[in-house]
Amino acid sequence: MADIQDVQVPDVGGDAVEVIELCVAVGDTVAQEDSLITVESDKASMDIPSPGAGTITEITVAIGDKVNEGSVIVKLAVEASAEAEQSAAPQQAAPAPEPQAPEKAPAQPVEQSTSDLEAFPPSVVGVEIVEVRVPDIGTEDEVDVIEVLVRPGDNVLQEDGLITVETDKATMDVPSSAPGVVKEVIVKNGDKVKQGSLILMLEVCHTEEVNVVVPTTTIDTKVVAPKAKGPVGVPSEAPVPFHPMARATARDTVYSSPSVRRVAREFGVDMTKVTGTGRKKRILKEDVQAYVKYELSRPKATAAANTSGGGGGLQLIAQPKVDFAKFGEIEQTPLTRIQKISGPNLHRNWVTIPHVTQFEEADITDVEAFRKEQNEAGKKQKLDVKITPLVFIMKALAKSLEAFPVFNSSLHEDGEHLVMKKYIHIGIAVDTPKGLVVPVVRDVNKKGIYDLSRELMELSAKARDGKLKAQDMQGGCMTISSLGGIGGTAFTPIVNAPEVAILGVSKSEIKPKWDGAAFQPRLMLPLSLSYDHRVIDGALAAKFAVHLGGIMSDIRKLIL
Amino acid sequence: MSDIKTQVVVLGAGPGGYSAAFRAADLGLDVVLVESRATLGGVCLNVGCIPSKALLHVAKVIDDAKAMASHGVTFGEPQIDLDKIRGWKESVVNQLTGGLTGMAKARKVTTVNGYGKFTGSNTIAVEGADGTTTITFDQAIVAAGSEPVSLPFIPEDPRIFDSTGALELADVPGEMLVLGGGIIGLEMGTVYSALGSNVSVVEFLDQLVPAADKDVVRVYNTFNKKRFNIMLSTKVVAVEAKEDGLYVTFEGKKAPAEPVRYDKILVAVGRTPNGKKVDAEKAGVTVTDRGFIEVDSQLRTNVNHIFAIGDVVGQPMLAHKAVHEAHVAAEVISGMKHFFDPKCIPSIAYTDPEIAWVGLTEREAKEQGLNFEVAKFPWAASGRAIASARTEGMTKMIFDKDNGRVIGGAIVGINAGEMLGEIGLAIEMGADAEDIGLTIHAHPTLNESIGLACEVFEGSITDLPNAKAKKKK
Repeated sequence: MADIQDVQVPDVGGDAVEVIELCVAVGDTVAQEDSLITVESDKASMDIPSPGAGTITEITVAIGDKVNEGSVIVKLAVEASAEAEQSAAPQQAAPAPEPQAPEKAPAQPVEQSTSDLEAFPPSVVGVEIVEVRVPDIGTEDEVDVIEVLVRPGDNVLQEDGLITVETDKATMDVPSSAPGVVKEVIVKNGDKVKQGSLILMLEVCHTEEVNVVVPTTTIDTKVVAPKAKGPVGVPSEAPVPFHPMARATARDTVYSSPSVRRVAREFGVDMTKVTGTGRKKRILKEDVQAYVKYELSRPKATAAANTSGGGGGLQLIAQPKVDFAKFGEIEQTPLTRIQKISGPNLHRNWVTIPHVTQFEEADITDVEAFRKEQNEAGKKQKLDVKITPLVFIMKALAKSLEAFPVFNSSLHEDGEHLVMKKYIHIGIAVDTPKGLVVPVVRDVNKKGIYDLSRELMELSAKARDGKLKAQDMQGGCMTISSLGGIGGTAFTPIVNAPEVAILGVSKSEIKPKWDGAAFQPRLMLPLSLSYDHRVIDGALAAKFAVHLGGIMSDIRKLIL
Repeated sequence: MSDIKTQVVVLGAGPGGYSAAFRAADLGLDVVLVESRATLGGVCLNVGCIPSKALLHVAKVIDDAKAMASHGVTFGEPQIDLDKIRGWKESVVNQLTGGLTGMAKARKVTTVNGYGKFTGSNTIAVEGADGTTTITFDQAIVAAGSEPVSLPFIPEDPRIFDSTGALELADVPGEMLVLGGGIIGLEMGTVYSALGSNVSVVEFLDQLVPAADKDVVRVYNTFNKKRFNIMLSTKVVAVEAKEDGLYVTFEGKKAPAEPVRYDKILVAVGRTPNGKKVDAEKAGVTVTDRGFIEVDSQLRTNVNHIFAIGDVVGQPMLAHKAVHEAHVAAEVISGMKHFFDPKCIPSIAYTDPEIAWVGLTEREAKEQGLNFEVAKFPWAASGRAIASARTEGMTKMIFDKDNGRVIGGAIVGINAGEMLGEIGLAIEMGADAEDIGLTIHAHPTLNESIGLACEVFEGSITDLPNAKAKKKK
């Protein structure tokens, strides 16, 4: 039973656009996100992706046509209603990875495409432009805007950072008060703002019941494909750390007794950010305590707090003060925002984790030959993706984590247990102009080489553009830091706590290897495995490294 | 002439001042308490809340005895012995102020008698009977209170007094005018009318007890039609003191055409803070034009080591507010990170019937544009009120319509003040109508009217016709 869906032009950020290319023909089978047509506006050209997998039954536009948001492009036959449901679901979910914070995108066509009104849940009641202003930032003074984190057209979720401001004490992100689409950014870098200053205009839609799913069993159901700018299909099952703030709504007045309010004030807790677990969501003393505990467990966002004075009970002498200008010309540049955040974390990890680094070399002669072969073949098939060596390392690492589950663990805060993880998410350290970030690829063990390659490309692009969201960087089990593209023979990476191990990758080199009869030129990849010695013994680490190297030298082991 | 060094000095020994001093002492601090009166307790204990309640008790028994006649018990005309009434009132005051002196001693709080004024950022000079005492302090709490407002156009005359004078109970005038229809004026008016005076009340605004809701005060007005001659939206423009009486000229809605003669006039038009009387500016403390000292939510003035509490920091000028502020100030001084953070402060007029309210009034809820709903329980449906022959009362609850939480409440009726605590607790705890409605209130009580008003809101009321009942087809 195939459902026919109309695929419409999503929000293309402007007026009518011209169709300049048709990427599909009638009868073509397309996968979700495959390009259907290319359109060109006065600013840019873009591909319109398919909202789901299916077969093209009709193309309703031709090259040169002008289309609007909501115009029907093609009719798509979706294989079965079960699949239709699957393909419809991401359309609902894609713009809003968190169901409680739906973004605006799905509602937009409502405004402009009256003929397709029935395609939308009637509960989407409208769109509203709201002003987002600087909230209480703990000071009445003006503060500097040091970074504008969003641009017009960006989708933001509630609590996503909009701008970064710097006071004399700290830098902080000013979060969005609501989910929506940025219409206009009023402030710019270097501006001075204070409480109440207008930051930007946000287009918010009332989509309280947007999860009412478009019917999928009826023939001829019209479905639009709102193209989210963010990643499509973020696995909803991915564990994202719970934050007590997540469920608080600003409108609610504080619901708690005087004694609880007193405790909150003693700790300086903003009660509007505490989630009540009592009857009718009353905030209990325990809720305030849990909130404080959670906040204290978070690293502080200032590098200065931890670089001097020797925190964590370390009895260190202060750094000597040096007047560098005595020795020659100097210039002072600020640490980047990422450096300020990651610095204290790295420092804590380096001083609190007893590190050992195990070195190993993997013979990647065969896998490199295979990889190049596949890329050549891919080029001929016009595949949009190139396989990099890193993807094989990720797969091999995932396989090794399955074999050595203790590497996929974290020390429990009670110091008496290990938290063993049943999932395999791998962090990839990415060097960006603004500093080091570690986006996380989820469920590496369940994904194929091409999927991983695509995902890695997307994540790297987001990382370089500074578009990574907090949840893109959470939940990692083990991290890979690859400097292979640059050079070097080995290095000692710092474990990215609460992970217990990190894999450093250096530049591969052809070396003479004795095969029992003669020296053979083999391509050797240097691996540096740093691990937390509290959790992992040296012997186990050596076995892990050998196992990993073994897989890399013969990737057939991946399917064993 | 003597010098004292102390950690904490408290200026003023009213409910705020002594509470601050005692709390600070209990937290281990050296405390000096400065008071200009011979006794501790301030206006409240000496010439305010407490003596007025003693006299109101007298008034109530007189009125109750009279009312018994219609239920078959007739008492003779009361014989009024003013000296004895006054003596009894004073014994009440002495018992309480004496108790305070004992508690101060037990806590090793040093009391210095005399009017204290700042002479610098860490010094206070107290002018007392034995000369000047200089107190050097680390931290200070200003609890200098307030005094009755006097009107410029009213002549100096022994027949014109404020609440303090009224409490002295010199005589029972034949014709008495109460200038100001607020709580203090009505309480004293009640006392004098029970003792036999003809009492007129003149109020500039269009409502007695202007802070309370109109419908609540209407109940009071109806019940007191015979007791008082009430002139609303009317003001006094001139008072001429003649030998045979005080001739008062009125202007406004209910103004008599000719000047009216009164034997005595009680001026009860409000109270003004004493912020300007303690030379606070010499310590660097900012005092507003009107005499208030501004403080933050920890009761700290603009000078870091000087705190202020009670009437002198602002409305409402109520003893119970001052006491809570006092505790916070003392605790902050002792190093605790406490804040004055109440959701509501109750107000009570101890009149007959009593008028009591807490939290938001309906008017305030309207002004704030809240989504609220009012539920009332008229005491005509209360068994206890009927059995007490006092069915004029009403219990009124105000709820946030979004979540049913109590945001305000008012009670008018006998013992209203004693019942208000439940509503205040409900507001502080964030209780909703269902919480109170499901709390079993004893029957028959006046107090159950609070639970029943919540049932009115919930639509579960059975003691009244239920407007929210399902409609039968």
